Amino acid sequence: MPPRVVVVGLASDFGCQVQMTNIEDQLLDVLGRIELSYWQLASSGHMPEEYDVAIVEGAVTTGEHVALLERIRATASAVIAIGACAVTGGIPALATSGSLDDHYACVYGEGDVEVACGRIAPMPITSVIDVEYRVPGCPIDMDEFTQVLSRALQGLSDCIPREPMCAICKTLENICFYERGEVCLGLITRTGCNARCITLGRPCTGCRGLAEDANLESAILLLAERGVSREDLMTRARLYNTLEEAFTR
Amino acid sequence: MSTLTIEHVARIEGHGTITVDVEDGRVKDIHMDIIEPARYFESMVVGRRFDEAPLITSRICGICSPNHMLTSIKALEVALGVEVSERTQIMRKLLVYGSYLQNHATHLYLLAAPDYVGLPSVFPLAETHPDVVERALRVKKLGNDLTTLIGGRPVHPITAVLGGFTSEPEPGRLVAFRDALLAASQDAAATVDLFGSFDEYEFETAGEMLALVDDDDYAIYDGQTGALDAGWRRPVSEYRSFIEERVVGHSNAKHSTVGGRTFMVGALPRINLSRATLGATAADALNRVGLSIPSRNPFMNNLCQAVELVDAAARCAQYIETLLDMGGSTTPVEFKIAAGSGSAATEAPRGTLYHGYSVDDDGIVIAGDVITPTAQNLANLDADMRAFAPSVVDLPRDEFVIAVERLVRAYDPCLSCSVH
Repeated sequence: MPPRVVVVGLASDFGCQVQMTNIEDQLLDVLGRIELSYWQLASSGHMPEEYDVAIVEGAVTTGEHVALLERIRATASAVIAIGACAVTGGIPALATSGSLDDHYACVYGEGDVEVACGRIAPMPITSVIDVEYRVPGCPIDMDEFTQVLSRALQGLSDCIPREPMCAICKTLENICFYERGEVCLGLITRTGCNARCITLGRPCTGCRGLAEDANLESAILLLAERGVSREDLMTRARLYNTLEEAFTR
Repeated sequence: MSTLTIEHVARIEGHGTITVDVEDGRVKDIHMDIIEPARYFESMVVGRRFDEAPLITSRICGICSPNHMLTSIKALEVALGVEVSERTQIMRKLLVYGSYLQNHATHLYLLAAPDYVGLPSVFPLAETHPDVVERALRVKKLGNDLTTLIGGRPVHPITAVLGGFTSEPEPGRLVAFRDALLAASQDAAATVDLFGSFDEYEFETAGEMLALVDDDDYAIYDGQTGALDAGWRRPVSEYRSFIEERVVGHSNAKHSTVGGRTFMVGALPRINLSRATLGATAADALNRVGLSIPSRNPFMNNLCQAVELVDAAARCAQYIETLLDMGGSTTPVEFKIAAGSGSAATEAPRGTLYHGYSVDDDGIVIAGDVITPTAQNLANLDADMRAFAPSVVDLPRDEFVIAVERLVRAYDPCLSCSVH
C-alpha cells in the first residue's frame, strides 16, 4: 500500500501549500507514489482517521490547533513541519512581541464584540509536538521540500542543514553585501535555499532561522565594527525569529 | 427548525464554515463563519522598519503575495515621496499578471471546475480528461514562471523593492517568455470556451460593484476606485472614507459596505467597469460566449476570470515587447527617509486591495492598514447566500450543499487574507 499522506494548514498564508501545488512537473509523479488522503486546499472530504505522513504548515494560534497537533502526533508515523511559521513561528510570531490583547485591540478595536476562535500567543508547531522533519523558509524551497518528502517516504533521517548561508553564498560568487555597506543576515542564517535572495540582489532577512553552526558572537562583533549595533542586528533577526532565544539577549 | 452546517468548505483558500437554519422547508438564515484565527498584521508592522513592511504584509497571502508586496511598496512610496520609472511600472504590472495567471488557473480548474462535472476534486479529472488537467497546469505554470521571471520565485517575490527592482531578467529570457505567452493564448481561449459551456445559475446580486478604473488601461496596478451603480470615481487615497468596515461577531474577518450597501470586487466588477479597455482578443472571447455586460450574476465571476486570462496573455506579451524596446532602468531610485503617510491600491486577482501606512522620521512604521478583497466581499457573499439559498433549498441535501458552495467558490474567497 502506498504511504497515506495528509496536508494540514494552521495559521499561515498557505504560501508553502501553494508552493507545493507549484511543482506542476513533479506533482502528478509524486501523486503516483503516495495516497493523498487529505488536502483541504485541493479537495472536498474530511481528514481520515488513519494516515502515515502528515505535512503541517502554519503557526499554532488557537487551542484547537494544539488539540489537532496532538491528534496528528498520535496518528502519524512521521510529521513534516513546513515553512517558517511551523518551524520557528515565522511572521505570525511577531505578535508575541508585546501583549496579544494590545495587538487584538489595534486590529479589532476595544469594543465588546467577541470575535470567533479562542486565541493563544503564536508559536511554531515544534513547540507543541516533536517532528521528524523540518523544511524551514518563507516560503519553503521546493527542491529542499521534495528531497525531504522523499526521505520521509523512505524512512530516512532528517537532513536539515546546520551551516550559515555564507558557506554556499561564497561558492556562488555573489558580491558580499558587507562590501557594499549593507547588512545581510546570511552570516547567521541557516543555508539550504541556494542563497536565492542574495543572488538576486537582496540581503538575507533570516527566514530560515538561526543556523546551529553560526557564530553569533563574532557576527555581533563584525557588525559593531561596521557601526551596526547589537540591538539593531537582533531586531532585524527577530523579523522571522521572534521566539529564537539567542535573538532576545 | 433544523440547522445544517457545512464545515471547512473545501477548495477555497482558508477555513470557513457555512451555517444554514431551515424551518418548514424555508431558509431562515444562512451565513459563513470565518474560522481562521485572527492574524494581527496591521499591528505587527508597527515598530518595524518601513522596508520590512512589504515583507511582513506580503505574508498575508501566499496566492496574491505579489499584490500585497506591491501595494505595500506603493503605499510606502507615497508616504516617502518616491517616484519610480516607467520601466519599473511595467515590470510591476507583469508581476501582478503573474499572480492573475496563476490564481485564475488554480481557481478555475483546481477549485471551481470539479463542481461542474460532479467530482470532489481535480485529481480524478487527470484520469478522465488529461488534456484539461494538462492545460490547467500549463496556464498555472505560465503564471508561476512569469512571477519567477520578474520576481525571482513564484511565492513571495524577492526583487521588488521601494523605488525599483534589485535584479532584472536577461533580454533572452524575456524573448523566450513572450513566445510562451503568445503560445498560451490558445489555452486561455479554450478556458473561456470551457467555462462558457457550463450551465450557470440565473442569479443577480443586489450589491454594488467596485474596481479600479483608468481611461487608458485595464486598471490592475493603478487607477481610481470606480462604482458601477453609483457611477462615481474616487482617488484610492480616500478609501477609508468610502469603505466602511465593521467587526462582526461570527467572524474574525471584518465586513465592509460602501454608501450603506454591501458590494462585490473581483473579475466580474472589473470587466463590468473596464470592458472598454479590454484587449481585442479578450473582447472577442467575451462576445463569443455571449456574456452580456454589465452582468450582476456573481457566478459569472468564473467566466470573467477566464476572459482575464486571455487579456493577460496578450497584454503581458505586449509589455515584454515594450521592455525589450524601451530601455530605461529599474535600479531602485534614491530617496530620503522622512515622516509621512501614504496609501495605495492594486487589483489582486480576487479584487481591489488597499494598503495604508504612516512612518516616523526614522522610517519606523507607526500605523498600518489593509483591506483585502475577500474582506470587502464577505458581507455581499452573506447577502447573496440569503437571497440564493431559498431557490435551491428543495434540492437533495448534497446538491443543496454543492449549489451553495458553488456560490461561495465563485467569489474565489481567500479566507486567510480576510482575517489579516
